[in-house]
Amino acid sequence: MSVKAEVVIKNHSGLHARPAALFIQTANKFKADIVVSSGVKQVNAKSIISVLSLGARGGTQVTIEAEGPDAEQAVKDLVFLLATIDEGE
Amino acid sequence: MVGVVIVSHSLKIAEGAKELASQMTPDRIPLAVAGGTKDGRLGTDAEQVRSAIESVYSDDGIVILYDLGSALMSTELAIEELPAIQQARVAVVHAPLVEGVVTAVVEISLNKNWESIIVTLQEMDFGKAP
Repeated sequence: MSVKAEVVIKNHSGLHARPAALFIQTANKFKADIVVSSGVKQVNAKSIISVLSLGARGGTQVTIEAEGPDAEQAVKDLVFLLATIDEGE
Repeated sequence: MVGVVIVSHSLKIAEGAKELASQMTPDRIPLAVAGGTKDGRLGTDAEQVRSAIESVYSDDGIVILYDLGSALMSTELAIEELPAIQQARVAVVHAPLVEGVVTAVVEISLNKNWESIIVTLQEMDFGKAP
């Protein structure tokens, strides 16, 4: 089963080091294969260096796509994380 | 918990890489540095590498990351000095230093085992080993 959703990153500075670490920690809780894309670049959502390489800034839209038994919950949790994360830096 | 050793020609680089990687997780990851020579010059020193390894060693395993190819020699010398049983749980990986240390720390915080962390780090090898 493949699930896909779009979300705007709330955190002002975007997916920089710590938010990216939180993001991949969440992604790694799932069995599903998960990719995240920003613009034309698509990367493995479970790899810290890949997610950092997106350079996704706050206020930009990213797409999360998952495939596997828990894909739906994975996308839901990751969308929630990006839509709500706000560490003020 | 798997431990990480950072070997750099410069103590500042080693400590900076440790500082940056430590920011990635609230977990306390066993992370040791060996940077520069004993008398504070740039270079690497097998004895310092060995004591860094010993300071974070556990049977869960150790991954060692280094900055430049020439650090590999001191690192290998240090490993040769370890008891055989420890040698079997110490792996040098050839990932770029900063990216490798950050990845290692995050993977450890995810409770990944030594073997799988090595695979992840080796995928990042860009040919830095001699």
